[in-house]
Amino acid sequence: MFSTIFSGALLGVRAYLVSVEVDISRGLPAFYMVGSLSMEVRESRERVTVALKNVGLDIPPSRVTVNLSPADRRKEGTAFDLPIAVGILEASCIIPQGSAEGVLFLGELGLNGELKSARGVLPVVQEAAASGIKECIVPKANEREGAVIPGVTVRGASHILEIIHFLRAEKNEREAILQAVWVDTKQFFESERNMNGEKTNFCEVTGQDMARRAAEIAAAGFHNLLMVGPPGAGKSMIAKRIPGILPALTLEESLEVTSIVSVAGLMEEGEALVTERPFRSPHHTISQPALIGGNAVPRPGMISLAHRGVLFLDELPEFQRTVLDALRQPIEDRRVNIARAGGNVTYPSDFMLVCAMNPCPCGYYPDRNRCHCTEAQVRRYMGRVSGPILDRIDLCVELQPVDFFSLREKTGSESSEEIRKRVSKARQRQKERFAGTNYRFNGDIEASVIEKYCDLGMEEQHCMEQLYHSLQLSARAYHRILRVARTIADLEEAEQINTEHIMEASFYRPSLEYWGY
Amino acid sequence: MSLKGGMRGMNWDEWKEREKMYACWLCNFPYIGNKQLHRLSEICGGPEGVYLASTEIWGGVLSPEQVTRLKEYTARWPPGKSYDRMREQGIRIVTVKDTEYPKRLKDISDAPYGLFIRGTFPEENVPAVAVIGARECSEYGKYVAKQLGAVLGRYHITVISGMARGIDCISQESALEAGGSSVGVLGCGVDICYPAQNRELYNRLARTGAVLSSYPLGTPALPQNFPPRNRIVSGLADVVVVVEARVKSGTLITVDMALEQGREVYVVPGRVTDRLSDGCNRLLRQGAGALLDMEEFVEEVWELYQRKGGAACRGILQGAAASDTMTARGLHLPSELAVVYQALDFSPRSAEEIREKLPEKCREQQIVSCLMRLCVEKLAIQISPGRFCRTGEESYE
Repeated sequence: MFSTIFSGALLGVRAYLVSVEVDISRGLPAFYMVGSLSMEVRESRERVTVALKNVGLDIPPSRVTVNLSPADRRKEGTAFDLPIAVGILEASCIIPQGSAEGVLFLGELGLNGELKSARGVLPVVQEAAASGIKECIVPKANEREGAVIPGVTVRGASHILEIIHFLRAEKNEREAILQAVWVDTKQFFESERNMNGEKTNFCEVTGQDMARRAAEIAAAGFHNLLMVGPPGAGKSMIAKRIPGILPALTLEESLEVTSIVSVAGLMEEGEALVTERPFRSPHHTISQPALIGGNAVPRPGMISLAHRGVLFLDELPEFQRTVLDALRQPIEDRRVNIARAGGNVTYPSDFMLVCAMNPCPCGYYPDRNRCHCTEAQVRRYMGRVSGPILDRIDLCVELQPVDFFSLREKTGSESSEEIRKRVSKARQRQKERFAGTNYRFNGDIEASVIEKYCDLGMEEQHCMEQLYHSLQLSARAYHRILRVARTIADLEEAEQINTEHIMEASFYRPSLEYWGY
Repeated sequence: MSLKGGMRGMNWDEWKEREKMYACWLCNFPYIGNKQLHRLSEICGGPEGVYLASTEIWGGVLSPEQVTRLKEYTARWPPGKSYDRMREQGIRIVTVKDTEYPKRLKDISDAPYGLFIRGTFPEENVPAVAVIGARECSEYGKYVAKQLGAVLGRYHITVISGMARGIDCISQESALEAGGSSVGVLGCGVDICYPAQNRELYNRLARTGAVLSSYPLGTPALPQNFPPRNRIVSGLADVVVVVEARVKSGTLITVDMALEQGREVYVVPGRVTDRLSDGCNRLLRQGAGALLDMEEFVEEVWELYQRKGGAACRGILQGAAASDTMTARGLHLPSELAVVYQALDFSPRSAEEIREKLPEKCREQQIVSCLMRLCVEKLAIQISPGRFCRTGEESYE
């Protein structure tokens, strides 16, 4: 007998439908699996046969052939266990023919027949809905994740017996066996969103007005930010609070982020949607594939997990230089293409880069009372941050050591909500400005169009000229100042950039003399 | 060939040249101490005599090991060869016996036997001041060194220093900038520019001043070379000024040597909280002169120089003073900039600290833009992403 069951496989953060074809015929007992399969998919033969045996189902000795179509695409993961099992059940007439028609199955089987969570449920269900499949059966742990997609019935099962029971039942009895899960996405999204932002708040940061201001500008224009300061000044504290002042995720953004987390297999059990802006802070020993994504089997890296959020690199000079240099292209393109023997995938990587570092090996430069590092040592330490990365950082701010009094003084700091209001307004202005273009934020403005978006009056032009000469700016630094000035003007709700904005922007430029370039 | 025979056969200049050739040979020998050099030369009656002397005579002063090394060295570098090589590089040698040998240096105990000089040694009938200080100096130190160098340069007082990073090179650069002359004393061979980043200063000194060293050509900058170098720095000067020094530092070694040599020591006072001024403030307590006003200091230096019997050529002074008043220009800053400027200092201050010092509270944006305006006017510099210093380009009242 022959049967066809629907399932899905991942390609990057997207999915495509796979039909699992099972044929059982008489002949020498054998179990063949074909269709460009990876090791873990092949192993599914063992899991499926043992699981079926252990739930008391006898598959008579026969010749079983399983094909996963399209057969030319490489398939990975353990989520094909369930569709293969259902295919075998249908082909051996344990469940009625046609009972699994129009249903998509996804899940890993344990040897006792239990269903375990799968990777990438969200993108697969999304793809299923797009291709007209009406019903999906997924592991119980992932049911809410799949249910956020409208227009498709998602049911969660925890054991293969439940599924057999379900498929044997009449259509009208089915609902009683496996209940469909419904998530009112909009309402859920709103309620989740309101719950966020309570954990960390900018009002906990005392002092450091310059750094707070820089963080606000960076958030408003999606600029990359570098914080330099002595140990314990609050660099990580501020970085952790930046997602909280970014505008909340929209539903589309949330779906994108959830897809990536789901593909990476990092969704928590029962979690439906990621509603918080991601904040990823890898340790400085991170390897290049872990940061960028990759491996023989491509998986999203940290930069993709930080998509639509903040990637925080603490102790920037300690990162391997090659790892940092690999960031250049993803920062520019906002996505990363990973080409490996096992496949060629593209992951989104539209993140805001926030970096922190000490100013010198001991951490206290330029306080000469505490810092004994020689000029050469300081230069060498700075020099570890490669110029190209520095070129992509629009704002640089120095934090001051925290003194006792500002620690005691808890009042006066603005909360994240207030800052977020201003940031959202500035973003709204940018949205209107860039409507119909490829750009979204001031941080994206390229040199070729900078004059269009950062228009200067006579006085301002003169001011930029003076700055250019007296600070010995490079062309890149010049453009950076203009971009940041545009964001400052947006924050101040000014149509035109004025000299005050330019002066403030120039303060936050990563200055060349300091970096020794 | 005996010394007398040589003299009879050639004129004075040729004989001098020969002597220099042998002096070059002798002084380039690395394994010999300064005292030994003096003695050998005295016994043999000059460098040529040393060359012609038998190994027994060498053995009278040098150890057997040194004698074998000297023999090997001579075989490798015959006097003519090493001398030609040196002249090609534009380097001269001056020994204690020569008239060009710096007079001030002659008086000190343990005066170096030979000096390798690149460039021309400045006039000796003006006072000379050694400006010394920390390599890792503060903005305050940089400012004082710059001002001091400029004033000394303007008044035609020679600035002696070690060409090291920090105070040394800043004072020397600004002295040359102001049209003065300067001498750099190296702790390595005079053909080596150490530190390498001071290449520009090195070249300028070779053109318009002098770079000198007592070490054989090609000697690397080893740590043990610097204390003996310091004695030359203080020896060449009438007055030694310490701009910034930590309590334990090479600068204070120079001060000790200066005191032994009977040089006047002046100190730039600093704040008691600055670790970089601790050395200076201690010297003050021990009775060093305080440098409070540049012009006053220059007066004192001239007086001191004349008391010591220096030739009076203070005519230059008047002209210099006149040009000085011309350069100081009054500043007319808008009031908000003036307030911020006054809150600035020579030690780095963050924008937050500056805000604390302002009479009325204002937003960080305003402070920052005022600071950047001052940077554009070159009245302040942003020495790190968050900190500012006065540049001290002008004196603002």
